[in-house]
Amino acid sequence: MKMTESMLRDFVETKLSIKEVGDLLTMTGFELEEIFSAEGEDVLDVNIMVNRGDGASVLGLAREVLAKDPQAKPTDLTLRLTSGCRQPDSGSRDIWEKTTVEIQTPECTRYACRIFEGVVNGESPAWIQERLRKVGQRPISLLVDLTNYVMLETGQPLHAFDLDKLAGERIIVRQAREGEKLTTLDGTEHELRPDQMMICDGEKPVAAAGIMGGEATEVSATTTRCLLESAHFLNTSVRRTRKQMGLHTEASYRFERWVDPEMVVTALNRFSELLQEAGGPKPVPGVADSYQTKPVPNVIRARVSRATKIGGMAVSRDEARTYLTKLGFNVTLDDDPDAWTVSTPSWRIDVVREEDVIEEILRIHGYEKIPEALVIGSTPLGGSHGIEAVAEKVRETLLRSGLDEAISHSLRAPHPLDATTDLVRVRNPHSPEAACLRNSILPCLADVVLRNGGNDVHFFEHGHVFAANEERQQVGILTTGSLEPASWHKGNTGQSDFFSLKSLIEAVCQGFWHVPEFVPSQDPRLHPTRQAEVKIKGQRVALLGQIHPEAAEQASLPLATCLAEIEISTLAHLPEGLPATKSLSRNPASKRDIAMMFAKTVPYSTIEAALKKAGGELLEKYSLFDIYDGQGIPEGHHSLAFSLILRKPGETFTDEEANQVRDEIVAELTSLGGKLR
Amino acid sequence: MTIEILEQEALTEIQAASSTTALRELELKYLGKNGLVSGLMKGIGTLTPEERPAYGQKVNLCRAKVQETHDTQLQRLKAAEREVQFQHERIDVTLPSRPLRRGREHVLGMTMSKIKRVLGSMGFVYYDGPELEDFDFNFSELNYPPDHPAMDAQDTFYITDETLLRTQCTAIQGRVFGTVHPPLRYFTVGRTFRNEAVDRTHSHTFHQVDCFMVDEGISMAHLKGTLGVFARAMFGPEVKVRFRPDFFPFVEPGVDYAISSPKLFGGKWVELGGAGLIHPNILERHGIDTERYTGFAFGLGVERIPMMAYGIDDLRNFMENDLRFLEQYS
Repeated sequence: MKMTESMLRDFVETKLSIKEVGDLLTMTGFELEEIFSAEGEDVLDVNIMVNRGDGASVLGLAREVLAKDPQAKPTDLTLRLTSGCRQPDSGSRDIWEKTTVEIQTPECTRYACRIFEGVVNGESPAWIQERLRKVGQRPISLLVDLTNYVMLETGQPLHAFDLDKLAGERIIVRQAREGEKLTTLDGTEHELRPDQMMICDGEKPVAAAGIMGGEATEVSATTTRCLLESAHFLNTSVRRTRKQMGLHTEASYRFERWVDPEMVVTALNRFSELLQEAGGPKPVPGVADSYQTKPVPNVIRARVSRATKIGGMAVSRDEARTYLTKLGFNVTLDDDPDAWTVSTPSWRIDVVREEDVIEEILRIHGYEKIPEALVIGSTPLGGSHGIEAVAEKVRETLLRSGLDEAISHSLRAPHPLDATTDLVRVRNPHSPEAACLRNSILPCLADVVLRNGGNDVHFFEHGHVFAANEERQQVGILTTGSLEPASWHKGNTGQSDFFSLKSLIEAVCQGFWHVPEFVPSQDPRLHPTRQAEVKIKGQRVALLGQIHPEAAEQASLPLATCLAEIEISTLAHLPEGLPATKSLSRNPASKRDIAMMFAKTVPYSTIEAALKKAGGELLEKYSLFDIYDGQGIPEGHHSLAFSLILRKPGETFTDEEANQVRDEIVAELTSLGGKLR
Repeated sequence: MTIEILEQEALTEIQAASSTTALRELELKYLGKNGLVSGLMKGIGTLTPEERPAYGQKVNLCRAKVQETHDTQLQRLKAAEREVQFQHERIDVTLPSRPLRRGREHVLGMTMSKIKRVLGSMGFVYYDGPELEDFDFNFSELNYPPDHPAMDAQDTFYITDETLLRTQCTAIQGRVFGTVHPPLRYFTVGRTFRNEAVDRTHSHTFHQVDCFMVDEGISMAHLKGTLGVFARAMFGPEVKVRFRPDFFPFVEPGVDYAISSPKLFGGKWVELGGAGLIHPNILERHGIDTERYTGFAFGLGVERIPMMAYGIDDLRNFMENDLRFLEQYS
């Protein structure tokens, strides 16, 4: 809402500068967007809150200034407009001989008009044109400019019809009929629907109610007889129709946010006053006013003690009454000496309960007076618990393990690394690049690789993934290339692979003292013989593997890329493990190495299980330190070399005892087909 | 050879030794088990019993003298040799470091972690709500009147008529009120979506914090105090909080809050988000007695925090994961 300084000062006498008025409006809730200069005058641009249609008028904003600035006084114009701007002919019924007004729909609660005859629709007075230009409106003609100007002053939209073009010279407000059409002022032809409210003449729709007039009946330079409409339409009806028609006008903006139905005739009278000031004719005496439904004020009991309690600052009973009265509320004594009985003005349908009244008291009293206080009372254990804590722990583990964190869009286009479940699609996407919800984190990480040079990146991302009827939390990992960035230093330049990724998965599981099991799997995105599902207590918590060469090709990723998906939702639902504490033996350990040859078809996990079983308590630690399948090893076989750490609690091993344990292990492994080398 | 001559020769040679290796040879030559000084003792057999003690004493004195001279020379030579070694091993400490892998937080991840730490430490429980949300939780439960202009600010991505991508994290309130009874303190940090084109200052996806509590006697002053603590934890100890009235359907009274600090943004007030006391309609819908309980809620955009704190001017950077951007903050 824009208004010039002079427009505001027409309504309020205040010693405040225009800048101070702007700041004061901001502190009432009508935020000053800017003050700019137009044709040498300051213009205020103020944001109107969506529940405060009354603020979309100079009168409405003036009322806020009058309530908030104790020194401000209303001008004669303000007093006249707030008391109906009565004209000498108000009581006359002459107008009913010229026209009739009939409301046939409950979506219009009031329709009033005046008629002016002998109009010369030339230019409007210079001062009106100037003010309209300053607030960004284009002067058009006397009648049109006055309707626009009065709307700025009062908030009441007006529409001028050329009476000679209205069939039957009468007005009917009704719902459109199937098959009816209306060409609006902007030249667009609309096919009308029965749920759209229209202003009609004796035959046809001539204006979309509360939105825009029709082209056929608009006033022009040749107009001499004018029917001036001022009406009240339901906000929901105007909103629905203007959305269907794809229109957005100053009038619909106001009706959607609520216009004061009591302002309907006042605005006609103000127009009449300004027209005569501009040398125009007097109206045909009387106002044709059909007032179907009068607004019922809300009567609310508002306790001052509750205002103080909610505001956290003291407000007196007298202050509360002053603020409310200045805002137009009717304040009367209540049975409760702590309370006022408050009746809402017709322009404030947003105030319906005690808290709304209290907000009015507090905002005029001033939010800058609210002190900072700390909460007292019960303090629950704050922070993350359950799945939220699990997700955070996984994130921390991966960061500590050297992975970089990515955060990407959940809205994206389909990708070769999508999971096999159907993608959830947005019904009204903004662009095809953001039309689907990801069903895996991996496509996002593929984008990260391409953005960062195509290789030598190691990223993870935690986020939500979507499938039909399912939203779950997942962590995706993508690792490819050198684990240490290239540099002049001839250090370790190990490459990431399935097994370095496996170590990350183990670290994640270890964080919850879970022992994961790696089972060969069949995900089409991954290399068919280099992938595994990770199971804990039989539940599938993760998938990992090297990328399928075809997926790598489609996604322009290196062939050695390794990928993992960790299902946080599944992980969080597992009972947390416990660390198994073993007391440390302080006796020396014996070390034995063995190398045994196996067929490659024997899985390592089987060999490892046998090793642990045979070693029992005495096998403190073991490690596989070599796998060899070169010279001397038959085709399809390999040699596994283990180092064994044997230790007894409270006793020292003799060589013979250590050898005996080693031999038992060898015997057990031999039973699996192993041959000692 | 007399003791004196031997001693003189030994001292001369030891003092002339030019390396620890040469000195080690001289040590063996004179002080070793079969060395020349030990050899002097062999001559003791030719002496009378009366002469023997004096002779023995002289040999011991000689040994001590040679040993001491050797030790001194050894220290000297070692020091000289270390010096040569150090010069040889000199590195250019200004060469680039060896880039070991370290996991780097995303700047938003870092910000969200800090938010979680701060609000968690104030007793607020973190709750992660769904991004694909029911229309009711996103709008109706939050006291939006049907088809109200308040929804115009929230261009919404719909999946079906009833499900949408949440436009505000406040959507978790209905979920929490449906399962937890007051007193309660909750917050979330998560994604929200608006049907907008992506440019420097707009994105179809951004992150929000939503924090709320319900307890007996909660007032606007508690809201201001909590926001003060939060804002000072995020932006520094001198930060002040200002309220101005504003409208959000889910709070009454509703405010827009701004912060200012002499150290940031030239001391100007900068709007951070919306807040207010939770609308009694919402509490009543969940059977909460509004005479007994009141609550506050506040929300803000996560991206705004690093944008303000670090002067980031392009929203697109956040979700593109370009390491040239990310490594500036981790």
